Amino acid sequence: MKYLVSDSPHIRGKRTTRGIMLDVLIALLPATVVGCVYFGGAAVASIAISVAAAVASEVVFRLIKREKIQDILRGFDFTSVVTGLLLALTLPSQAPWYVPMLSSVFAIVVVKMLFGGTGKNLVNPAITGRVFAFIAFQSVMVSGWIAPSMIAISPVAVSGASGSVSTGATQLTSILGGTGLTVSNLDLFLGTGVAGCIGETCKLALLIGGVYLVVRRVIKWEYPVIYIVVTGLVASAIGKDIGLFVPSILSGGLFLGAIFMATDYVTSPHTRAANWIYMALLGVVTAALRAATKIEVVSFAILLMNLLVPLFNAYIRPRTFGAPSFVGQMKAKLAAAREKRAQNPDKEDAQ
Amino acid sequence: MKIKTKFFARGVHIPDKKSLSSGCPIRELPAPETVAIALSQHIGKPARPVVTVGDVVEHGTLIAEADGAVSANVFASVSGKVIAIENRPLPRGGTTDCVVIESDGKDSETTLPPLGEITPENIVARIREAGIVGMGGAGFPTAVKMSPKTPVDTLIINGAECEPYLTCDHRLMIEKTDELVDGAKLLAKALGVERIIFAVELNKPDAIAKLDVCEGVLVAELRKRYPMGSEKHLIYSCTGRRVPPGKLPADVGVIVENVATAFAVYEAVRLNKPLCDRVMTVSGEGVNEPANLRVRLGTSYRYLLDACGGETDDAFAYIAGGPMMGATLLSTDFHTRKTDSGLLVLTARQASISAPTACIHCGRCAEVCPMHLLPMDIDFYTLAGDYDGARDRGGALNCIECGTCAYVCPANRALVQSIQMCKQKLRERR
Repeated sequence: MKYLVSDSPHIRGKRTTRGIMLDVLIALLPATVVGCVYFGGAAVASIAISVAAAVASEVVFRLIKREKIQDILRGFDFTSVVTGLLLALTLPSQAPWYVPMLSSVFAIVVVKMLFGGTGKNLVNPAITGRVFAFIAFQSVMVSGWIAPSMIAISPVAVSGASGSVSTGATQLTSILGGTGLTVSNLDLFLGTGVAGCIGETCKLALLIGGVYLVVRRVIKWEYPVIYIVVTGLVASAIGKDIGLFVPSILSGGLFLGAIFMATDYVTSPHTRAANWIYMALLGVVTAALRAATKIEVVSFAILLMNLLVPLFNAYIRPRTFGAPSFVGQMKAKLAAAREKRAQNPDKEDAQ
Repeated sequence: MKIKTKFFARGVHIPDKKSLSSGCPIRELPAPETVAIALSQHIGKPARPVVTVGDVVEHGTLIAEADGAVSANVFASVSGKVIAIENRPLPRGGTTDCVVIESDGKDSETTLPPLGEITPENIVARIREAGIVGMGGAGFPTAVKMSPKTPVDTLIINGAECEPYLTCDHRLMIEKTDELVDGAKLLAKALGVERIIFAVELNKPDAIAKLDVCEGVLVAELRKRYPMGSEKHLIYSCTGRRVPPGKLPADVGVIVENVATAFAVYEAVRLNKPLCDRVMTVSGEGVNEPANLRVRLGTSYRYLLDACGGETDDAFAYIAGGPMMGATLLSTDFHTRKTDSGLLVLTARQASISAPTACIHCGRCAEVCPMHLLPMDIDFYTLAGDYDGARDRGGALNCIECGTCAYVCPANRALVQSIQMCKQKLRERR
């Protein structure tokens, strides 16, 4: 007879870390597919290199730590696949092969594994990998945006985008540079003829992924919505033109960042209320930095706010069930003071 | 009459699996050949034995008396001869002295003396005399609870039974409705309160319907949510009052008693029967014929399982109590106590066996915690040895150990055990 001895509770929910990561991968599928269609073989290669490098560097790192290969395989939770894929989606498609590879290795080894692996990293690995690429390979990252070769599908959009070759600034850069709108909001939403990273141009695909995550209860719908709306509002306020709302939220990497990166469990606050504040602040920081630097800063904004998460966790904590509210505490103190005052004269009388 | 209830926002919905045994009427289990009656079946000091080896006892004879105020009398559950008083292990660890009685097969019964006039003092005295304790699992001597320090105006009879699988309270409410209501009224009389609320989860509509037509009691239909049966959340759901951290229900004017306790009170007062048996659910996918049994205290778990057709071939985990807060058993060589509401056998499909992985800070535990704590922080600080941090940042001392956090944890972390360890360490330091 065999007896299982386990810790209570003896039944558990069906959710696992691996399942959640697979859900994120499924949610990223539309954006990945659209990115590959828009940007072609270069995008496919970039994504493949990035994911392979991420997984390989995690496995190699753990092998160096003398973990057994069976343990690594059994404990494989797909977080490195998510990191590699997300990272590739934030890079331009024509970046040379070493850019996704080195960024991926940096993201996994330096940002994640050196801090203790899954769940221990201070900042989002994919975001930091992108920032690493941005700084280390500046020539590729700043000047190299190309619009997808979608001429067959929507020639008007592309010719309207810049009228000529599609290398150069993204739509966001032209809005921020004051050049004004050159692409319609619909094109921005669908990503047709818009220059940008592999995964960030088609907002529709990202939105589908986001809805999937919300339906599967992986993320809360309010988090990305708060981030996106606040960014749009602050951008409109800075530009003193409410017409900027839609283009500013639809351009750049905001959707990708808001849906998939800012909501990363490890690098966002623990509680719901803290997350609302966090997302709103993230929106303010993003819009303000965009206006100040005239470049796309979603990744920098998230990286910056990631570093503040421990503060959120330390200071925003739920009130224990049954504990008096702040107002209640004050009232109780007042009542106690009043009682004391009422009792004191009695005591003096007694003496 | 039904009353309006409130919903508490946290907690989790768990498949209740009650249909396995909810249709089985309570079956009287014949007395086993030997019983081993524990002297510690309650919170507080173990009872002091008043019999010695070789004594002949009857079913209902006092074999150990309460040692101090917070303790409870223990009675023989079969007639026969005391063959040993020995130390035996308990399911949750630790040991207790047990009085082992060999049955003579006659089962001749003795009762307590008639009570005479039913006054509040007499009822409390009888509850103490009959050795009645909280039968929902805590085992706090009921007589102590009956003399609260603050004025109370409401008595809640806890029939929520939010643990999956368990159906013994459900069956009692259907089959012994009148007796239960009478027991509740006796408790109310002892407390001097008018308002009696039967709190029942919505997944027991038949029990609600039966209680609803009874005179003089109110019925609270509670949403099906774990941990609805937790005292603090039950009080909030029924009355809207919140018990502050570190306070007792009586501080907000409420006393909560379990359904089985109310039934025991009825039997002690009206039938002069001491507490020497209880209703238990034997269930789980690993049991051939799940059942609700009326079991003599001290009956071995093996006997219970055999009475239910034994286990299936894929039986895997044996649990005393419910699956959320119960304890897994190392063997079936344990004996029923006053607080045992269930014995479950799960198969590998149900029982959780995966090893914990790293916390991914998803925040699900904090989202479902009915006490609004931060289990992930308690776990983190406790494992780092910073128990003050666990207390101050996570709120470890307010935890009710319901296990909701660990149930939803995708990383399978042993959150409840971290919290228990933290509480233990803080207690040791004091």
